[in-house]
Amino acid sequence: MTEEGKEKEAEAKKIVHTYPLIRHSDMAEEVKQEVMELVVTACEKHSANNEAAARMIKDQMDKKFGPPFHVVVGEGFGFEISYECKNLLYMFFGGNLAICVWKC
Amino acid sequence: MPPTTAAKKALVQGKTAKRAKTSAQRIDQEDDLEEWKRSKQLAKPKDQLELTDAELKESIARVLTTTNPQQPDSLVEYNHKVGEFVVLPTTGNLVVVFERIGTYIHKDSEEAREQLIAQGIDPSAFDQTTEAEDEISTQMETIGEVETTDEEKHEEEGEDDHDKEEEEEGHGDAAEGGDAEDEREDEAKGEEGEESVSKGPQKKLTNQFNFSERAALTYNNPVRCQETQTTPPPMATFSANVLQWVIYDAYIEDYAAQELEKLRERERKEKEKVPVSKHPAPEVKKPSGRAQLSEAVQGRVLECWKVLERMLNQNTYDEIAKDYRYWEDPSDEFRDEEGTLLPLWKFVYEKTKKNTVTDLCWNPWYYDLFAVCFGFLDFMKPSTEGAVCLFTIKNPSYPEHICMTDSGVMCVDIHPKYPYMVVVGQFDGNVLVFNVQATCKKPAFKSNAVVNKHTGIISEVKWAPDLPDGEMNFYSAGADGYINNWVLMQNELSVTTITTIYLDKDPVPGPDGTFVKDPVPGPDGTFVKVKGSASCITFHPKQKLIYLVGTEMGMIYKCSTNYSSMYLMTYKAHHKPIYRIDFNKYNDDIFISCSGDWRIKVWEDMRPEPLFVFDVGHCVGDVKWAPYSSTVFAAVTAEGKVYVFDLNVNKYKPICVQAVVSKRRNKLTRIAFNHKLPIIIVGDDKGCVTTLKLSPNLRIPCKAPKKQQYLDQWTLQCMKLEKLLSLVREPSTLTVPTDTASSQAS
Repeated sequence: MTEEGKEKEAEAKKIVHTYPLIRHSDMAEEVKQEVMELVVTACEKHSANNEAAARMIKDQMDKKFGPPFHVVVGEGFGFEISYECKNLLYMFFGGNLAICVWKC
Repeated sequence: MPPTTAAKKALVQGKTAKRAKTSAQRIDQEDDLEEWKRSKQLAKPKDQLELTDAELKESIARVLTTTNPQQPDSLVEYNHKVGEFVVLPTTGNLVVVFERIGTYIHKDSEEAREQLIAQGIDPSAFDQTTEAEDEISTQMETIGEVETTDEEKHEEEGEDDHDKEEEEEGHGDAAEGGDAEDEREDEAKGEEGEESVSKGPQKKLTNQFNFSERAALTYNNPVRCQETQTTPPPMATFSANVLQWVIYDAYIEDYAAQELEKLRERERKEKEKVPVSKHPAPEVKKPSGRAQLSEAVQGRVLECWKVLERMLNQNTYDEIAKDYRYWEDPSDEFRDEEGTLLPLWKFVYEKTKKNTVTDLCWNPWYYDLFAVCFGFLDFMKPSTEGAVCLFTIKNPSYPEHICMTDSGVMCVDIHPKYPYMVVVGQFDGNVLVFNVQATCKKPAFKSNAVVNKHTGIISEVKWAPDLPDGEMNFYSAGADGYINNWVLMQNELSVTTITTIYLDKDPVPGPDGTFVKDPVPGPDGTFVKVKGSASCITFHPKQKLIYLVGTEMGMIYKCSTNYSSMYLMTYKAHHKPIYRIDFNKYNDDIFISCSGDWRIKVWEDMRPEPLFVFDVGHCVGDVKWAPYSSTVFAAVTAEGKVYVFDLNVNKYKPICVQAVVSKRRNKLTRIAFNHKLPIIIVGDDKGCVTTLKLSPNLRIPCKAPKKQQYLDQWTLQCMKLEKLLSLVREPSTLTVPTDTASSQAS
């Protein structure tokens, strides 16, 4: 029994999902895709530096959609934010990163 | 000092003051310019020399002299008068650069005098005062105008050092002796001046340097505040906790959802593929029906049209539909033992108007659906094509299914288990099986036109119970005397001849006068047995092996599928072709037959004599037992009449005789009871099927006796029939048949 369970666990662990997974968003579809791509680019570029990634995302977002955007990139955090409607994206990426982008 | 010199000095002083003032102004301007320059970057000319700081600081002295080196010193001119050169005086160092004639006039000049006179001033008096006036004007400048004093001060500051300034201040306080004198003179003269001024203040001469600034203050518009407030953009709050396991779980969940989606997609694709792949190969078995349905003409559109058609029909046939549902002939109450038939819809298909209705068959599954065969019975005028149409009473205007055939269709049967399987027998001896659910355009099965088919008209086809391995099969009776069993194999029909009907006659010689050798040789070896022609066939409802065959010669043979060469029973029933044999729905031993010899006979199994004989005075095309009563049957005659009998009501006469179609033009050929509704359909030889509703008197249910209230309708019907039969079953010793004419008379 235990061995089987372990084997199953091992099998399950083999699958590591790294694709971007949008957890919550109220953006328009095109905007959402664009932001998602931006986030992916930033997180891949600054894979070791979340701060830099967040800054890059924020700067880009400010430029594209107008300030003020806020970005959180991290592996573990909690938040309660108030945001301007249609301007929130909460997604996971790379299997261990959570990115929250919102405008307020 | 003489007063004149003093006055002159004052004048000079005033003049210098003036000059100083102007220079001071210039300096002021220069100061401003300096400031302005400093704030601004100076543009350097391109060719300016680049000098070092030392060079720049170096002072270069430059002395300017008044002597003009270019000036000629000895100019001569030839004088013609004296006839010699004359030396001209030197022009001096003066060079006039600019010359302008001023507007000042010398006060002693004639012009000035005139002007003074014009202004009303005595020129002589003016001469005395002028000197003082100049002084006054300066005084007025210093005292009267603050600005001027300021300027003066500036000028003094800019021009001289402190001492000089003090000196100037002392100008009013008398610091030096000379100055004091000057002042005294000034005052003395000033008094005179004041007098002259007081004489005419308006006399003051215009002075272009007398500048006065004027300003006007306008009202400032009061400052007002105006504000607007826009609605803030909609906000919302969102909160979540990011933890590694939350992320992991989210991924797992999403992945599972994706997998599920993929699976569904695949299933859907497979489903889509199924009908496409199965379409070309027409299958016979029941699943095939459903698969082929999807292929049937553009499903949805067809459905819409059908709904529309149904709506139109409902409107068009609204009255008939109401009659069909609600109208019960009220006169039945007053007519004892008689009933009527109410004609309802007529079913006609345009293309088969010329054909005769050769068979009718209600669908055992859908009680509103029935099949109609279009063939021909008048063999002098054969029609080239036939059809099987499936009508529904919901749509009297057009058949639900149309199966066109290239030969007249003589008989039809619908499979009781698979109501979409329709078998038809044709005039040319072929049998066809249609799967109407799949397609009506071509038959699912067709007998081979050369080797396995009947060589005569097929008079009746009947589905048989499925074989043990599930294959469908049916029997057909043909005019060639063969009773065949057809099995629907994978792709073809396999045929077995069950029985051959031979006439009970002596063998006849062949066409050439010789006796042909028969497979079953008789005692003398050579003879031909004459084949009879089966005109109808019916199977026992319970014992599936037993069947009855009616022949053109009027014989009824009771046969079993197990025996091919002998009959279980032979009834000498009629003198003309038998058109129908039908088993009673309640009692399997009772069957009815009708024939072209105008008679309808009711038989009991194994009893050679009929129980009832009815003569209707015309060729009887069809007879059927009613499904709702054990004693009711209906028949149609070529005269165009429908006869309904109820043996329980009247053993001798029909309880209803009604002409349905015109006697002269139309013949009725077939009749069929609906097994659920109180309606019958009758077919005529003009391709028209008429629906008739049975009036209440024609379908009286059995009333249970008071002591046996618990009995159900079925038992009561059986009892009713049994009771009736016991009356007519005559002892075997008596052989007198109940012949129509005599029995009616008695």
